[in-house]
Amino acid sequence: MELEEMQAVWSQMSDQIEKQKKLTDKMIIMMTQEQYRKKLNKIAYPEIIGAVICYSVAILILFNLEKLDNWYSLVSGLISVVTLLVLPVLSLKWISKMRNINISGNSYKETLIEYTKGKQRFKKSMKLGYYLGFVLMFVIMPVSSKIIKGKDLFTETKSIWPIVIAIPLAIIFFFVFTKWVYKSYTGSMNSAEVLIKELEEKE
Amino acid sequence: MAKEYEFTQIIKDHEGVIFKITTIYTNNHEDQKDLYQEIVYQLWKSFDNFRGDSKISTWMYRVGLNTAITRLKKEKRKGNQIGIDQVIMKQTDQYDTEFEERLKILYAHIHGLNELEKGLMLLLLEGKKYEEIASITGLSPSNVGTRISRIKQKLKTQIVKK
Repeated sequence: MELEEMQAVWSQMSDQIEKQKKLTDKMIIMMTQEQYRKKLNKIAYPEIIGAVICYSVAILILFNLEKLDNWYSLVSGLISVVTLLVLPVLSLKWISKMRNINISGNSYKETLIEYTKGKQRFKKSMKLGYYLGFVLMFVIMPVSSKIIKGKDLFTETKSIWPIVIAIPLAIIFFFVFTKWVYKSYTGSMNSAEVLIKELEEKE
Repeated sequence: MAKEYEFTQIIKDHEGVIFKITTIYTNNHEDQKDLYQEIVYQLWKSFDNFRGDSKISTWMYRVGLNTAITRLKKEKRKGNQIGIDQVIMKQTDQYDTEFEERLKILYAHIHGLNELEKGLMLLLLEGKKYEEIASITGLSPSNVGTRISRIKQKLKTQIVKK
């Protein structure tokens, strides 16, 4: 379809739209209010619930630090606390940044640059988040064993076989996982970089 | 009350603009309805800042396009939505099959463009002059011209491929 033909189709469609205007005052006012409520919900639930869980677990570990009575449990405990504090910040920070884009003041170009850069940073931090989550999965095991059961996972476990099997499996899983994360992000990151480069070209 | 009245009149006068932006930036009916409401909401939010420094349509395109690209996409939306089904045009009720087919082809071409090109294409199809496109997008008029030439080239390549 040539551009001229596209313009003709577009113009015909525009005429049809003009003929069937149906918005009422009430609908418009309701839309602004409903959307306002929905916007609050969008931010509120998933992100805040995740953050509350992470911070609750971090506080629980901090209150039970005295139970982590050997160096490796203590180190694992501190790594877990730092990870649990950092993880929610990664996504909340991006959401708040995106919400602060000046939609009415910015030009399309400025918004596109700001949004694409923000999205790139978000993807990088999510990638970091996946790795941190993976680390957390392991470091929290000796910590929870100590805090919940009062047992040292390494010295007081009856059989070492579960650990011997778990470690190689974890390493294999980690390699597969890393490859998947890399594959998921590389494509979209490249196209974002091309777009930013194009927008920032000197006119 | 006067502010609300003024706002609703502006939206009613330009509802077609919002509709057309939503068709370009979404792929399904649910997303389209959601974006439609989001744009109306953002226009309402920025209405106080709009003091007639620019044309109403320029302000609307700017807010509409910016909203479309910065919208935080959600996989599932269960919130109650205002019944704007009546507003969103049901093409099958309005058009003959041939026109519908041409419209589908047009959308397919537009959806194949990147975010920047989509915005430029929309404004071009709306019959905007390069100067107005430049004031909405923040590009210079000459740059708008260059990019539109590239889009035309891209569209021709798409046709050849098909």
